Amino acid sequence: MLMVVKNQLKISWLSIKYALIREMLNKTTFLTNIIFMVLNNASFIVQWIILYSLKDNVGGYTFKQVLLLWGIASGTYGVAHFFFKKAFSLSDTINTGKLDSYLVQPKNVLISAITTDIDTSALGDMIYAYITLFIYGVTLPNFLLFTFFCIIGGIFLTSISIILSSLSFWFSKSDIIADTGNGLMTNFATYPDGIFKGIVKILLFTLIPVGIVNYIPVRVMVSFNLGSFLIVIMATIFIVILAFLVFYKGLKKYSSSNLMMAKI
Amino acid sequence: MRKYLFIYKSEIMSELQYVFNILIGFIGYVIILFIFLNLWKYIYNDPNELINGYNMNQMIWYVIITEILWSSLGGRKLCRKICDDVRGGNIAYNINKPYSYIGYSLFSHLGSATIRGILYIILGMILGFIFLGSFPNLNILSILAVLLSGILATIISTLLIIFIGLLAFIIEDSNPFYWLYSKAMLVLGTIFPIEYFPKVMQTILKYSPIYVVSYGPAKLFVEFSWPNFITIIFWQLIYILIAYGLCAILYKKGVKNLNVNGG
Repeated sequence: MLMVVKNQLKISWLSIKYALIREMLNKTTFLTNIIFMVLNNASFIVQWIILYSLKDNVGGYTFKQVLLLWGIASGTYGVAHFFFKKAFSLSDTINTGKLDSYLVQPKNVLISAITTDIDTSALGDMIYAYITLFIYGVTLPNFLLFTFFCIIGGIFLTSISIILSSLSFWFSKSDIIADTGNGLMTNFATYPDGIFKGIVKILLFTLIPVGIVNYIPVRVMVSFNLGSFLIVIMATIFIVILAFLVFYKGLKKYSSSNLMMAKI
Repeated sequence: MRKYLFIYKSEIMSELQYVFNILIGFIGYVIILFIFLNLWKYIYNDPNELINGYNMNQMIWYVIITEILWSSLGGRKLCRKICDDVRGGNIAYNINKPYSYIGYSLFSHLGSATIRGILYIILGMILGFIFLGSFPNLNILSILAVLLSGILATIISTLLIIFIGLLAFIIEDSNPFYWLYSKAMLVLGTIFPIEYFPKVMQTILKYSPIYVVSYGPAKLFVEFSWPNFITIIFWQLIYILIAYGLCAILYKKGVKNLNVNGG
């Protein structure tokens, strides 16, 4: 069992590595994508400088805590889109019959299908995440916690996308649901939960679990709480298992579209 | 001009076939407005309190209008298309056509923006009324003036995005420039009116495209005045000339050096 996991991880790693080498062939484009993504994210600092000039505290967050929130949002997004880019277009892979080529491989279909490509600009997101951590104040425990939350959050975001995209096995237009769900997670992720009230706040910790990916990690980093830390881990394990179950349940309904394509 | 109007009309007809896709885009728009409604409600202790000359309702209406302008534009798709045309060599097919590539891109994009704009205006007004319970004090003439300013703003935005797309003649992938442009527009022009920025920045922003593509029409909607209208329209017309000129120069230079392989 362990050997199977090890082999699968090795294959996925090689796949990501070669995708990165491919992207690096054009160095100018590669670097512009990364640098501009960092600048793109950094532009939002202006928004928060202005808001904090009006009020010392926005939704229970200080300026540095909002930066940390941004860092975790950016880091989780970066991890998800760099390592598992194809999870965010899985609906298309299913709808157009592109899963065929993964079905004949002696490896895990889902992991192979989502790790075949990378998003270069997501490297910019990850770099920006660490820039915000340095502004917030870096210590060894902070650094480790931050890295852990970015990885686990990235896996969480990927799992949500897999679950929503897997609906394509049953419904033809479900890519819209997946896009909307992914959009919801990103839009809410960079605003403090304190500005929301009532049912919306409950939704942010349940149906739209931005709270698990972003808000709880920030709280744990500001003031460590083992209970909250474990909630994030348990929720991630649950969502990952659910993603695998939904995908493989759906895969039984998959039918090929006789698509001919070359995989290099 | 007739051929461009035909392109414009064809694009409207084509866009009408995909109204469902536009309606799906409404979800994102509603979420953004909902977040800002909550944010401004949190910032304003009292809805009638004035911050930098705006009360809470005016701030929310400001965001509604700037978001209508931005969401109906669909700039990312336009930039990607032009960038792909240049990179993929498709632009070569347009060289021998009896129209200008810039004119074609402008009018075809305005066609799709028109349908999106109408739908977003309807949605924005409904949401604004649901959230705030009232409209800003505007008469028919001032509404038409705001609409004119909004149309000119969309023309300028489209030309600026065409210019960014054409940068692919110089750097292979011009999409990252669009990310920066869109974020600058979002942070400096969509979320806050110019009055929220420090004095030095206000002067710079008043001469920047942000003033004509975002701030101008929204400011007219929340606090209409004829002198303001004349100033904004004047600068919008100047900007149309500048933006078109920049596109024409870049296109001319780029096409001269164009080298397309294969077919």
